[in-house]
Amino acid sequence: MITKEEVLDIALLSKLYVPEEQLDALTKDMDSILAFADSINAAGAQAEEYENAEGLSNVFREDEVVPSYPVQEILQNVGGGENGYFPVRKRK
Amino acid sequence: MTGTIERLSGLLREKKVSCRELTQAYLDGIARDNSVLNAYVRTTKEQALETAETVDRKIAAGELLSPLEGIPMTIKDNISTRGIETTCCSKILQGYTPIYDATVWQTLKQQNAVLLGKTNMDEFAMGSSCETSCHGGAVNPFGTGYVAGGSSGGGASAVAGNLAVYALGSDTGGSIRQPAGFCGLVGLKPTYGTVSRFGLIAYASSLDQIGPICKSVSDAALVYDAISGRDPMDSTSVGQKEPVAPQLAKRPENLTIGVVKEYFQGVDAQVEEALQSAIRTYEKMGARIVDLSVPSVSYALPVYYILACAEASSNLGRYDGIRYGYRAAHYGSVHEMICKTRSEGFGPEVQRRILLGSYVLSAGYYDAYYKKAQNLRGAVIKGFNEAFARCDVILAPTVPMTAFPKGFAVQDQVQTYQTDVCTVPVNIAGIPALSMPCGYDQKSLPIGMQLIANRFEETKLLQTAYWFEQEMAGEIYRKTEWGCRQYA
Repeated sequence: MITKEEVLDIALLSKLYVPEEQLDALTKDMDSILAFADSINAAGAQAEEYENAEGLSNVFREDEVVPSYPVQEILQNVGGGENGYFPVRKRK
Repeated sequence: MTGTIERLSGLLREKKVSCRELTQAYLDGIARDNSVLNAYVRTTKEQALETAETVDRKIAAGELLSPLEGIPMTIKDNISTRGIETTCCSKILQGYTPIYDATVWQTLKQQNAVLLGKTNMDEFAMGSSCETSCHGGAVNPFGTGYVAGGSSGGGASAVAGNLAVYALGSDTGGSIRQPAGFCGLVGLKPTYGTVSRFGLIAYASSLDQIGPICKSVSDAALVYDAISGRDPMDSTSVGQKEPVAPQLAKRPENLTIGVVKEYFQGVDAQVEEALQSAIRTYEKMGARIVDLSVPSVSYALPVYYILACAEASSNLGRYDGIRYGYRAAHYGSVHEMICKTRSEGFGPEVQRRILLGSYVLSAGYYDAYYKKAQNLRGAVIKGFNEAFARCDVILAPTVPMTAFPKGFAVQDQVQTYQTDVCTVPVNIAGIPALSMPCGYDQKSLPIGMQLIANRFEETKLLQTAYWFEQEMAGEIYRKTEWGCRQYA
């Protein structure tokens, strides 16, 4: 059984707020989801060390300088930004 | 004026229709029917007509057209399109406009594919009915009381409803095959690494794969050939193999089809019957059928949810309200800004999956869940390797049932997760699979058949599918060519 405190703790790690009125329902949901996740234990001894799928290996590329995206274009998604930066200002 | 890529491309080349007329016909269809199907969340009319003009000029100049040139299509809302809002159907990405194209779209754009718009999906591809979308779910053209499936529900609804010739979707645990199955279409999830994911907004990076949703196996082969290949921007991508489409009509020699018993546990009787009939058809055509057991398939489902949610909790950590998309209106500290933005911006299913992911990765639970699931992933891969030593292709249901009624999937999460039981093993193993129609249930809803091959064996997979499609032509495919009026 997952407790409400554990749900709040995990939510904090996930940077999510859980409104008081939703905590009961969410705890219940998480409890049934975790019971479902627990069903991997039925697989018992069949687990073996994970190896990457055959034929796959890490691919490295040459460390070459390539053009980057223009800052102004990137800042279009925050309405143009301020002095070339993302603005983060208190908004009470 | 609807049909397959092959048919419409022929009409364009023979100048029986102009690309502008074709594009306009699809745009008119969207204007007429999208209010019912909810397949599109955004249309790109001006861009579509502009591309159509370019194609018409090429035709007038007598230039050769590539197979996908001038064909109206659509892209799932989690694939980046430069200058076109891309939101994963989530409030948290409202207003986000990518400044680059996903490689798949860049490739198709160069071939003058006509983009009609972005299609509906479960929020961040997390769902099996498209109903976790912030725009509400896409509707199944075979019955408006039913969902189109998920997560690429909008793409499947658009193609089945004749609002696009083909769609690009993404498949993390079945999100191409399941909606294709529900909507009587061919949906291909290629081998992990064959199609670049650069520009695909990540859900679970070790599982995500882009692929086509089409009206026929040949169309799926054409789109797959166009989008597959090595991309320096996706380090998991590998070099392109021989194109599949030219080899499609070749019969796979001495084909052995494996029937894995674990796939048939708890399958609806009508779905089972349709699949048994498909097995008999293959047998009649000369394929050898072998019965197999792959025990690891039966616990692939919790393994999938643990791995996918763990990866999602990490991938979705980037949404903080600072650089793009939604930001909470009121906050004090930066921490509060991030938490409020995420709590207000993510829907309930995305939040549940982030929480599960954080839980299974947290100290004290990591070994019991994440590590164990990773190890079981090895067992699933081994199970498929052993199966493919005994057969060429595995035949299975796509989903244990036909399309859900609207609202079914939102009632009970775990019950809905269970319906992904037949699609997730393939993603865990990184192998290719497709769904194609093999019959209809008593409600006239399509039944999907899943064919699964070993990694990089798309050619054999599509040949096996094509063979069945040719044999069944007229019997099954007549029904998918019904046109939009059927549900009106």
